[in-house]
Amino acid sequence: MGDSVINFEEEISRFKPSLDVEEVEDAIVKSDLTDMTDIMMEMIKEIRE
Amino acid sequence: MDYVRRNRQIANSFYNLGLEKANIRDLSGAVECLKKSLRFDKYQMDARNLLGLIYYEMGEVADALVQWVISTNLKPTDNPADRYLDEIQRKPGRLEIVSQNVKKYNQALWYAQHDSDDLAILQLTRVVEENPHFVKAHLLLAVLYMYHEDFPKAGHSLYKVLQIDKNNPKAQWYMSIVKKNTGKAEVEKRKLKNAFSHQKMQDDDVIMPPSYKENTGWQSVLNILAGLILGMMVIYFLVMPANTRALNNEHNDEIITYSQKLNAKNQELESLQASYDDLKTSADEMESRLSTIEGDNSQVLAQYQTMIGILQAYRSDDILSVARLYVDLDTSLITDESVLAIADAVKTDMETNGYQLLENLGTQAWNAGRQTEAEEYYQKSLEVQPNNPSATYLLGRLYQSQGNSDLARQYFTRIITEFPESDQASQAENALAQLGPASTAVGAADAQTEAEPQEDGESQAGQEETEAGEAETDGTDETAAGSAQDEAGPSEETQTAGETETAQQE
Repeated sequence: MGDSVINFEEEISRFKPSLDVEEVEDAIVKSDLTDMTDIMMEMIKEIRE
Repeated sequence: MDYVRRNRQIANSFYNLGLEKANIRDLSGAVECLKKSLRFDKYQMDARNLLGLIYYEMGEVADALVQWVISTNLKPTDNPADRYLDEIQRKPGRLEIVSQNVKKYNQALWYAQHDSDDLAILQLTRVVEENPHFVKAHLLLAVLYMYHEDFPKAGHSLYKVLQIDKNNPKAQWYMSIVKKNTGKAEVEKRKLKNAFSHQKMQDDDVIMPPSYKENTGWQSVLNILAGLILGMMVIYFLVMPANTRALNNEHNDEIITYSQKLNAKNQELESLQASYDDLKTSADEMESRLSTIEGDNSQVLAQYQTMIGILQAYRSDDILSVARLYVDLDTSLITDESVLAIADAVKTDMETNGYQLLENLGTQAWNAGRQTEAEEYYQKSLEVQPNNPSATYLLGRLYQSQGNSDLARQYFTRIITEFPESDQASQAENALAQLGPASTAVGAADAQTEAEPQEDGESQAGQEETEAGEAETDGTDETAAGSAQDEAGPSEETQTAGETETAQQE
């Protein structure tokens, strides 16, 4: 690969498939919407318990 | 709930940072900030909507849809995500094309990961043609080109990625490798070095003065006007004089040509004028000759008339008229032979008898005071008969009385030399003595001129001669006596000599 310092195989493996339009619904369902407020509420709840 | 408010503040801060990065097209950095913002507050709708927009800009339409759908679910009203979704769903084929593009990309990635680089390149080329903002496809294509050492094409794909997302870490890293392999890295390094280090002056370097300013619009207009004015001045001061000189030279040449033509015409005119003068002179000469001829004819006619008058005078025995007319007769003008014979006969007659009559007529004219007529008679008498000392003497005395001493002396001398034996010789000698030298004769001649002959010729002459004789008896001066005789007319001696001759001839 000439003078390049990148490893082609490694670099290619880092590329991930792009999200297809048909997979939007699954992605929405699977998306993690938890934010810091939810985490802190959960922690406060556990502490109270 | 202070922590909730704080989380929102942090989320808001990340959103602001992401927005700033998005404004400078640092999309990758903006995505990171917006994701962090949503981590702190999932209800930060602006961050979510902006994240969807950035995904859409980078060609990740499905990811954008995910964010906008979640956004509308979390905040159903007054949410810009609704408008974004409406824009995409308004074009039904648009989603299908995007879906096909994503599938092609995923297939190309599969080809690339399974050693089918060429197929992957072909597939990715189509993908980026249909969706030029697909950052992932550009990056994968660049990696494949780099793997095949086609660095210029790799650099082209990376350049497009950096136009969309200028701080994309992968693109920047790949671009550095591409520049290193194409030599552009050295060039940029040298430029950078020259920009911030001491630079040796080159021959073609230009030092711009501190006062130099780029021309503004008005300055450009003024410069153009100044250029036009300078151009006009150059035309007026340099081009126009040259043209004027050329025109002057041309006009001078024309003037010279016309002058030469004019001179030629003048010469021609002069020659024509000379010819005209010659012809006019010839015409005048011919006219004068014609008039002369006409005059001659009139003179000839007059001679014939004189001849007729002479014949008529002969017929009436008027010898005096014959002699008078004979004075005016010029036989040389008579050409007719018969008339010329008559004229010769008249001439012969006049030479034998007429000359005396002419002399007498002269004397009569002198006594009548007609000295000019007397002179003509005496001259004619001498022409008819030159050997006539009497007429010669009388003519001399006539000239003496007129004050013409030279002619008088000439005729007196002629008598003395040619007719020394004649009676008039001694009288001529006396007359010459009276005249004296040429200078002293003037006074006597003046005195004679004042006198006029008496009408009664002979009686007057006799009376004067008597007085003269008395003067001589008294012993007075001869000159005075001579003068007295001249004033009265021909002297007694002359009259006597004339009468004697006339008697002899008769």
